[in-house]
Amino acid sequence: MIQEKDINEQIEWAKINADVMRSLENPRMAYWVAVIICLLMISCAVVAEIYQYNVGMGVAGLNNPHMWDLYIATFVFWIGMSHSGTLLSAILHIIHADWRKPIYRFAEAMTTFSLMTAGLFPIIHLGRVWNLYWVLPYVSDRGIWPNFRSPLSWDAFAISTYLSASMVFLYIGMIPDLAICRDSARGWRKKLYTVLSLGWRGDDRQWRNFRKTYLLLACFLIPLAVSVHSIVSADFAMSIMPGWHVTAFPPYFVAGALYSGCAAIITLFVLLRYFFRFEEYMTLPIMEKTAKLTFAIAMVWTYLTLIEFASTWYGHNMYDKEVLIAKATGPYAWVFWTMLFCGSVVPFALAFKRLRRHMPTMFVVSLLLNLGMYFERWMIVAPTLSLAHEPHQWNVMWGSIVQWAIVFGSFGWFGLLFLIFVKVFPSVSMYEVKEMIFHRRHHKDLVEIMEEHEAAMHHRKGGDKPGLEGA
Amino acid sequence: MSEHRVMALFNDFDEAFHALAEIREHKVKGVDIDDVTLLSPIEHPEIEEVLGERPIHVQKFTFFGALFGVTFGFFFLAAAQASFLVQPQGGKPVIPLPSNFVLMYEMLIFFGVWTTVFAFFVLAGLGRKRDPMYSEKVNIDQVAVMLDVKPENLEPIKALFKKHKAQEIREEVVR
Amino acid sequence: MSLKNILENWSAYRKGAEEGGHHQYEHQWGMAIDLDLCIGCNACSTACYAENNLAVVGPEKFAKNQGMYWMRIERYWDQMDEEFSEQGASFLPMLCQNCHAATCEPVCPVAATYHTPDGLNAQVYNRCIGSRYCSNNCPYRVRYFNFYSYYESSWPAPLHMQLNPDITVRDKGVMEKCTFCVQRIREAKDKAKMENRSVRDGDVVTACAQACPTQAIVFGDTMDPESRVAKLWRKHQVHRGPYTQRKPKTDPELRGYRIFEELNVDPSIMYLERVREEV
Repeated sequence: MIQEKDINEQIEWAKINADVMRSLENPRMAYWVAVIICLLMISCAVVAEIYQYNVGMGVAGLNNPHMWDLYIATFVFWIGMSHSGTLLSAILHIIHADWRKPIYRFAEAMTTFSLMTAGLFPIIHLGRVWNLYWVLPYVSDRGIWPNFRSPLSWDAFAISTYLSASMVFLYIGMIPDLAICRDSARGWRKKLYTVLSLGWRGDDRQWRNFRKTYLLLACFLIPLAVSVHSIVSADFAMSIMPGWHVTAFPPYFVAGALYSGCAAIITLFVLLRYFFRFEEYMTLPIMEKTAKLTFAIAMVWTYLTLIEFASTWYGHNMYDKEVLIAKATGPYAWVFWTMLFCGSVVPFALAFKRLRRHMPTMFVVSLLLNLGMYFERWMIVAPTLSLAHEPHQWNVMWGSIVQWAIVFGSFGWFGLLFLIFVKVFPSVSMYEVKEMIFHRRHHKDLVEIMEEHEAAMHHRKGGDKPGLEGA
Repeated sequence: MSEHRVMALFNDFDEAFHALAEIREHKVKGVDIDDVTLLSPIEHPEIEEVLGERPIHVQKFTFFGALFGVTFGFFFLAAAQASFLVQPQGGKPVIPLPSNFVLMYEMLIFFGVWTTVFAFFVLAGLGRKRDPMYSEKVNIDQVAVMLDVKPENLEPIKALFKKHKAQEIREEVVR
Repeated sequence: MSLKNILENWSAYRKGAEEGGHHQYEHQWGMAIDLDLCIGCNACSTACYAENNLAVVGPEKFAKNQGMYWMRIERYWDQMDEEFSEQGASFLPMLCQNCHAATCEPVCPVAATYHTPDGLNAQVYNRCIGSRYCSNNCPYRVRYFNFYSYYESSWPAPLHMQLNPDITVRDKGVMEKCTFCVQRIREAKDKAKMENRSVRDGDVVTACAQACPTQAIVFGDTMDPESRVAKLWRKHQVHRGPYTQRKPKTDPELRGYRIFEELNVDPSIMYLERVREEV
């Protein structure tokens, strides 16, 4: 039988609590194996970073035209990944799409953690990391300030705003669930949840303010997320380099960000559904909706990619055109065509209902989409640098093992943060799943009861507003 | 004179709703709907309507926070730039508006978000000690109606709750 | 106080390069490089290495494009000579153009590169954190990054004695570039101040100009109308400012041009085109 409803409306509420709470406890063998793999990946990166810190940036294989390479590409990739969680959660919240409720928690966690991963890369790529704090606008007795014109200092502002805002959004949305955890947990967890839930008891005053706060935060986060990736794109678009100086970059980056974020949501959806047995919450219809959304965004991305090529081609600037031709035919051509294949052809798999409901396929497809998006970021950074205005400095460079080790390790870092999250915090929003069920089951009845009571009151009191007398 | 705090737990939201509606209609003399606290596992905008007008003030904080963020942002950036004239110019003015707008926008959101969160913590009364009457069942699937009543109203209100199939009624002397 | 500062000087602070900018220039150092005189001998490059304590990175790192050649001779061929492929190159000495609307300046997050009242594009090594954005945004690709520490490998024991004491040795993680021999400019200005006069044309000679055997490089203050470089600029009808000057190509005597002028970066170096024999 094909499951058609987003969620089984007859689920017992106590069972929801029990199911989610169970996912927090008794990690299985596979969990520890995953943790160890992540730790090993991180140690690769740590070793590489220590080596690079001591010897110099040259060990990453960087050279004169290629001052930036995979570090920046990976930075953009992780920033992009961070976009779907919060942005989709906020948009879907505002338009009352209740199918977001079972899946938004882990998506927001993904946002926070990929931002925490992304934030590492500008630091790793600095020549003198130990002077990082000079980017911050602190009052110095020498009267020196950072340069507020630089897109890199915009990055510093935008990322810190986005990181704090999305963490707060994640946390505020989790307070009622933390209260549930507090009520049933033991030991150190009890203490942790007691502090974090801030004495939440679910009274009407709390809920009222909660609803408003959550809505306001969602309203802030939508423009914020768009602005953050626009600012990241400004790192390129504000320069005068051919292939970077593109007016369409901000929307192009935002679309690419949403795209890779949606693909990552699908990946994690499949994993959580399988490992935590969340079949009743992360249902096939919800997967289908996510997949359709991803497909739509994939088409937007494809469109913007083609538009970028077209405007370069017909703009007829010789530098820009040369870079474009070199992308398609030069030494980076295989990366370029893989990017187009993964980004624009593979998503057509999402157009078929049979495939959308087949978890292993969706898993592979989502990974391929993200591979394409990683290559896209690489293809933004590298070809321009290899082939800019000055012919004497044309050069093709492939990053060294140090660079790849740090990029590889960043996936372990993200994985580790996520693994810790799913065992410490509920990765499905319990109270909102309840809400979803309640509204689907009760909404109609309640409206009837309301009307009945209103009618009764009007009948008795002759339309006077009750509650103002007799206190 | 002592006052009692009563809390009734309901399994069925409709019953809680009826009970609230009856309190609102002054079925028990001297008990007002404004004294009632509703505890629920999920948001109940529909049920809360029966509680009458209860204002929310968070958005005012948000507004002024955002306004502060954008003005502070402008003056902070402009003051820093105007006092740091050796900064890189690149042919641009000392106080370049387009790039400052970007940062002002970020600061608007930054301050807006944090004042909202601050206001939420204060206005929702978070961070206080929980009421000893708190029931964990509220966080599972039950709705609780809690209110302080004078001794003479204690029995009628309990009767009202019982009439609406309250699962459990707790009470204690407040003062 | 700051508020008062903003309000009083608002209009001055809002001036961009088109309206003259906020800077009151004392000098505008500039160059004229005659490509017809350049024989590609690399003496300028060598002199630059000696004058500015440039690190010698060794053949492997040089082959990886990690070299530190502030002044480089670029070679271009019009047509390939089948038999002697190295023959017939045109030479282009390329160094930092000290642009007046430099693209490297606004992108530095920590203000480590800035514009001096001398019209120089200064690089503050101590302030640089190595984000390398400036180099990415330089169309001439004349900014060099210290990918490694070279102070031990580049100047082993007795060689460190030859380091120029007027200028620092840069450590890893710092961006550096041609400064128009700022230490020589400083010295000339100090000397002129002591002698209570203004800097005269010829007081400052950059290392490359000094070493050039054919005197292809002329350095001086383009703001001083009597300087050699200013006269050359005038003679070839090249002016400061944004790209508005489309000269008639008909006059073979007008050989002056600035590289990538169309990017509106307002570079300070005028090149004189090589005189080609008409076939």
